[in-house]
Amino acid sequence: MKRFEYKVPGGKLLRVKLEVEAGKIRFLQLTGDFFMQPETDLEELEVQLIDSPVDFATIESVIHGFFLTKKTVITGASPSDFAYIINQAVKA
Amino acid sequence: MDLKVNDAYTNMAVDEAIAKSRGEGKAPDTLRFYRWKPSAVTLGYFQSVEDEVNLKALQRFGFNLNRRISGGGAVLNSERGEITYSVILKEDDPHVSTDPVESYHYLCQGIIEALDVLGIKADFKPINDVVVGGKKISGNAQIRRYGAVLHHGTLLVDFNVREMFGVLKISKEKLNDKMIQQAEDRVTTIRRLLGRQIGFPEVRDALETGYRKALDVELAKSDLTPYEEKLVKQFRERYASRNWIYRR
Repeated sequence: MKRFEYKVPGGKLLRVKLEVEAGKIRFLQLTGDFFMQPETDLEELEVQLIDSPVDFATIESVIHGFFLTKKTVITGASPSDFAYIINQAVKA
Repeated sequence: MDLKVNDAYTNMAVDEAIAKSRGEGKAPDTLRFYRWKPSAVTLGYFQSVEDEVNLKALQRFGFNLNRRISGGGAVLNSERGEITYSVILKEDDPHVSTDPVESYHYLCQGIIEALDVLGIKADFKPINDVVVGGKKISGNAQIRRYGAVLHHGTLLVDFNVREMFGVLKISKEKLNDKMIQQAEDRVTTIRRLLGRQIGFPEVRDALETGYRKALDVELAKSDLTPYEEKLVKQFRERYASRNWIYRR
């Protein structure tokens, strides 16, 4: 299991746990003390990222694409922060 | 709603019940004061039990474990050390900004006014804290659901650093004096600032005055409606369930 945690400057603490198999995300869990509404969007995002290739460009595009279709309000973090921690965990 | 003591599951169920009732227009805007028995660690919605809680210590102290519907950080809701409060308004209340930080600022103002009543000068610290001289004295969380905005938070009256460090995984390092010092440097309490013992009724009265002033409202004492009581029973089951608590 790969892990990474990151305190967003001026924001909240984000954590990720993930498993990679054959270059793809097999398991992913995002946690932390940020705020997100609707809160179900986080679980939906996790599902979207399963089977995603682990290169940064793909992860970033899945995440930004996901939030473009939503009216999610995130406080204490941004979509780019989620992409960053996933990428850092992959490299860990 | 006047200061009442309940367990963690009931406390969270009551907040959600009032939010639903308020959103549906079946209850007025509500200010609620409450305490916890037994003490409980309350996780933010997106936090994981594994990362935040020392389960062995939790069991040793006999504390409950619970998860909020709101985001934010883990809190030790201490039986003897704090008062919690919630403010429940309609989501489209013209006073409540859709901007989260502005909305926190507005609804934390009652805490700042309450501390002023006690002779303590406090400030709002974005995103969701109230601080005195840079030290945190109150943490807050909001959620918009059912057409209502629920703002709940805690005001530290006293602080047992060993309990807090025992149950919250603030750091992986072993508890030592240096860490206790660090915690004491980051957090403060009403008792410490006043340099005297203070009872819950006095803090509760200050909170009532503070919120009356900050929100510019009249307050009338009431209790849960039968509809809310019914919802509390229903929601409490969820809050007390393993599936809910260990969902992350």
